[in-house]
Amino acid sequence: MNNKPGSSILQVNGLNVSYGTFHAVRNVSFEVKAGEIFGLLGPNGAGKTSTLSAVEGLLKPQSGTITVAGFDTAKKPLHAKANMGVQLQATSFQPELTLAEIIKLYAGIYCVELTREKLQNILQDIKLEGSSSKKFKELSGGQQQRVSLVIATIHDPVLVLMDEPTTGLDPQARRQLWERIEAMREKGHGILLTTHSMEEAEAVCDRIAIMDHGNVIAIDTPQVLIDTHRNDQNVISVSRKGKITLEDVFIGLTGRTVRT
Amino acid sequence: MYSLALQDVLYEHKLHPTLSMSGEEKKIKMQTVIPKTSAALTSLLRADFTTQWRNRRSVVLLLLVPVIILISWKGLIAKMGGAFALSTCITIGLTAIGLMGYSNAIARDRDKGVFQRLRVTPVPTWSIMVSRLIVQLVLILLVTTFVFIVGSEYDEVTLSPAGYTLTFVTAFVGGALYLGLGQMIVGLVKNAETVNSTTRLVYFVFIMVGMFGDLGVLGEELKKIIHWSPYGTVKAILAGSMQPSNWSSQTSLALLATIAYAVAFSYLGIKKFRWNTQ
Repeated sequence: MNNKPGSSILQVNGLNVSYGTFHAVRNVSFEVKAGEIFGLLGPNGAGKTSTLSAVEGLLKPQSGTITVAGFDTAKKPLHAKANMGVQLQATSFQPELTLAEIIKLYAGIYCVELTREKLQNILQDIKLEGSSSKKFKELSGGQQQRVSLVIATIHDPVLVLMDEPTTGLDPQARRQLWERIEAMREKGHGILLTTHSMEEAEAVCDRIAIMDHGNVIAIDTPQVLIDTHRNDQNVISVSRKGKITLEDVFIGLTGRTVRT
Repeated sequence: MYSLALQDVLYEHKLHPTLSMSGEEKKIKMQTVIPKTSAALTSLLRADFTTQWRNRRSVVLLLLVPVIILISWKGLIAKMGGAFALSTCITIGLTAIGLMGYSNAIARDRDKGVFQRLRVTPVPTWSIMVSRLIVQLVLILLVTTFVFIVGSEYDEVTLSPAGYTLTFVTAFVGGALYLGLGQMIVGLVKNAETVNSTTRLVYFVFIMVGMFGDLGVLGEELKKIIHWSPYGTVKAILAGSMQPSNWSSQTSLALLATIAYAVAFSYLGIKKFRWNTQ
């Protein structure tokens, strides 16, 4: 079964996630297609990370279904995980292991054969050819993100999940990461990312979903969302530069109140 | 634009079994088969043993405490008996492995998100823990062997082949109790620093109260209590297995108590365990 461009590789239907009495995700539905970058946006506590965690299999949904590459994550969790690569918000690897050992560990987990030459090629590709014996914590933020991404995609998954991948990166590192994400899209990977950066959403996402209080309140391409809400009074009232941006739409829809 | 060199390397060398290479077209293929658990477990074991090797100073300390006690007791061995001395030292080593080594490593990795990273891969969660436990079993083997060697070379305490064999078996049973206790602490306590201080406290109490109480220094009542405590039952089965001919019904009861403690601690530890601290 090949993932043809446009075919659905992630389907989330009626997802509900609760922590005790707190209903974090409410009846959320969306899909990610092959060759698409899908952004999940929302203020703090909107339910983005909970949604992503449910897809990753890190938490059990209260109800709803999640299908990755045709596999129901509740019924076939390992098959679903074999088809996804995950870059967590705060990635941490065993601090005693070197870069080469970490890459070998994850290649081994996914049964990806890795010779010394191939390992060197991978390190060269992420511009860390001289750092194979370095520990993960010794790398800069941008280098850590490149390592995390290479590990997330070492098995060439159809779906790549990224939780706020550019947080804390300088503009150069952020641009470089965007290029890598776009390159993955061109290869046919489907990418689901969460972000607080409207600039990032506009720059790289093909479609976005805006979440608030656990609900998806808008879902479409960034440009269509801007066009649709261009004349909303809430959106116009928060506009700062005379023209409506995605950030204006976002704040207009989710409100000015700072979330904690 | 980004060169795609990594992807090209993967495709050119057919690194991944599911990559389609039909003509010039490169397609990412959906996985219909999950990676073998045995292969994943091998990789996890390699990583966990490497981690343990990098922390070899702590392993040396783990070995030093029982060995120092054994050496310092040389003059008393004739009075207290070789089995008493060796079983006490192995018990102290097992306590250190379960409480100081295992639980602190688990708490630290949980706190840092190491487990979360592994849990998003297609490995069964049990294999993550099994890999960690196998490393601990090797440490148990190492401590027991080390105590036997020092006991034989320095204190001239030797056992029969059956005694050595049985002691290794009971060391694993006793080790399971302390690993279960460590698991229970890391299950009940979320914060890594609190786990660290709790295990140090429990270790200190076990060693001090256990050792001195067992010698009768703290009174007869406490001696009885200690005998049926997790410290006492492990020590009793170790001492009993060193002299198989002296294995009594009391030793069998101690074995049952040890297994019961191990099951109860492990059950609570697994039930209450959370893979992350949030």
